[in-house]
Amino acid sequence: MMAGVGGGNDFQWCFSQVKGAIDEDVAEADIISTVEFNYSGELLATGDKGGRVVIFQREQESKNRLLSRGEYNVYSTFQSHEPEFDYLKSLEIEEKINKIRWLPQQNAAHFLLSANDKTIKLWKISERDKRAEGYNLKDEDGRLRDQFRITTLRVPVLMPMDLMVEASPRRIFANAHTYHINSISVNSDYETYLSADDLRINLWHLEITDRSFNIVDIKPANMEELTEVITAAECHPHQCNVFVYSSSKGTIRLCDMRAAALCDRHSKFFEEPEDPSSRSFFSEIISSISDVKFSHSGRYMMTRDYLSVKVWDLNMENRPVETYQVHEYLRSKLCSLYENDCIFDKFECCWNGSDSAIMTGSYNNFFRMFDRNTRRDITLEASRENSKPRAMLKPRKVCTGGKRKKDEISVDSLDFNKKILHTAWHPKENVIAVAATNNLYIFQDKIN
Amino acid sequence: MVARGQKRKLHREDGGGGSARESQLQSVLDISMDKFLRDQALVEPCLLRSVLINNTLRQVQSEVRAQVESLSPVKIPTKLKPEPDFTQLSPPAEHNASLSSPNAENTEDDFMVWTSEEDFSLSSAISAILKDLDAVIDAGQGPCASQRAPLRSVENLTPCPLRTERTSAVASFAKTELMCPVRPQDAALDKLLLDIDTSVFEPELNLLQGFSVTADDLVKYLPSLSKSPSASSSSSLVSNGQAMWEIQEIEHVMDILMRTYPQS
Repeated sequence: MMAGVGGGNDFQWCFSQVKGAIDEDVAEADIISTVEFNYSGELLATGDKGGRVVIFQREQESKNRLLSRGEYNVYSTFQSHEPEFDYLKSLEIEEKINKIRWLPQQNAAHFLLSANDKTIKLWKISERDKRAEGYNLKDEDGRLRDQFRITTLRVPVLMPMDLMVEASPRRIFANAHTYHINSISVNSDYETYLSADDLRINLWHLEITDRSFNIVDIKPANMEELTEVITAAECHPHQCNVFVYSSSKGTIRLCDMRAAALCDRHSKFFEEPEDPSSRSFFSEIISSISDVKFSHSGRYMMTRDYLSVKVWDLNMENRPVETYQVHEYLRSKLCSLYENDCIFDKFECCWNGSDSAIMTGSYNNFFRMFDRNTRRDITLEASRENSKPRAMLKPRKVCTGGKRKKDEISVDSLDFNKKILHTAWHPKENVIAVAATNNLYIFQDKIN
Repeated sequence: MVARGQKRKLHREDGGGGSARESQLQSVLDISMDKFLRDQALVEPCLLRSVLINNTLRQVQSEVRAQVESLSPVKIPTKLKPEPDFTQLSPPAEHNASLSSPNAENTEDDFMVWTSEEDFSLSSAISAILKDLDAVIDAGQGPCASQRAPLRSVENLTPCPLRTERTSAVASFAKTELMCPVRPQDAALDKLLLDIDTSVFEPELNLLQGFSVTADDLVKYLPSLSKSPSASSSSSLVSNGQAMWEIQEIEHVMDILMRTYPQS
């Protein structure tokens, strides 16, 4: 039995919870489009195609249930974005939430940024568990009292009430993106953040909504000459002047905002030379980077392209230091995957809290984890069949040819409609959230 | 008469792998064009997807161009002597008779023994088609795409008798097509398809009618490139004169490029 990945040799992943409808018929609006833990891991936010945000909060660990960590329960649900219509271009703007990013917590309230294709919103999520009673000027039901009838003064008293979680939009950052927003990233200064679309990257101040700085613009003068677009961008976790952005040609550019106001010229350029023996018509498409993430340490970054995950040392530009094959068995199927559009799927990737392991999704509701130290990898499945409480997840294997062993699944039997594009790893513990279409699975390690 | 086997061997450098490559080339071309056209129909296609598909189409285009270029320079030096049996402008019936042979290999041989001037002109016609394809791709990226005349490469050729015939034939198509009201960004695509489509499917088509190209039309056409030449040539066996024969030549050449060369 393969030892687990991510926390040592005695490690096993177990099912914890699943959120979402069991229906076979999935409503398009319920499809989860982004998943993100906050900085402490206490809150887990999801965004969906219907423009809604659902936040789960972990309950306090119960002393009675020693064998499991606290469960995540719904904390707040709100409609973040509504469908809009651009009358000038006769275009509908989708309400789908592309990205959610939490701000570090600075007071009792929680703040997050949510973005659809065109607009970013800053939401404040705050709790209210007390209510003032005994006002002088109004009745308990809110009606104003007749001032001539007030003969005495009293001090209102705070009384406990049922917990109410309120989400209110505090800032709306709009009208700065002509193309579709693919990334947002909060800067380590906690004052600014960047947003990236296909051709431009803008820098915002969290307090200022009516303007932003454009820091990268790759739009050519003649759009016919366009051959490359921006696919993802992220701020460095510690150096507030550094950010990276990836492209559809498999390159990553690191930029320093101190060097120039416009960062069209990169400071570092990361690209792996192509292997000429594996060149095909699809080489460029599969090299397109769908996600880029800095390690928590800030020393490495990880990129996800269609078939692999690569770890780069920021000090070495000419090739990645580690490459992990996610589903190499798909290389011979690229023509079919091009035909059915699966080749354009954008998979995300994430680090664990200690940067010792990485995780990414695949098809058939499989997801993969790689341990960077032991070089072990594991394939697990998010499915309702394995959803008994604390049930251990069995490693899955794809048979690439020849004799199929028991419990293996052949490449041709994979369900390409069941894709895991979004995953998140708790910042401190071995708890992971995996979005499988309209269901959110939470897995955790078995406490020995 | 040039020995049939010899010439074929000159082109068989990539051996058996070439056939797989060609069939994949055909598939990728078909799929890419289908996606390209579907995306053009959308109000706001995804930019990343459009760029990737366009780049793939360009890659296919350059591969086809490379194959065309590898054909023409080799033929010209070996076939400078006029062939009494295969002068240009042989009557259509005679030529069609040779094309209608049910044996795919024989029809290939007939293709092979065309004169060097015909080959050169054909290559140029193919280049013109490829340039139109280029214009289609460029037109898809913005409303201000440059419109190119479909005959440019043919017109730039050194004069030869066959070219005159062919130019006039294609020119007649071009003139009638210019009368058709089309949107600017569809014009290049329409020109491309007009050159090919009418000859294969609707020889009697009234070109003065405005026509719109649908993805189905294109898909209907493109798979026919991979049919055996005997089938396609027999189905298009109509004695419609030189113009029809010339357009069929172009189609035939595309067909040859795309499908498997038989073992010699």
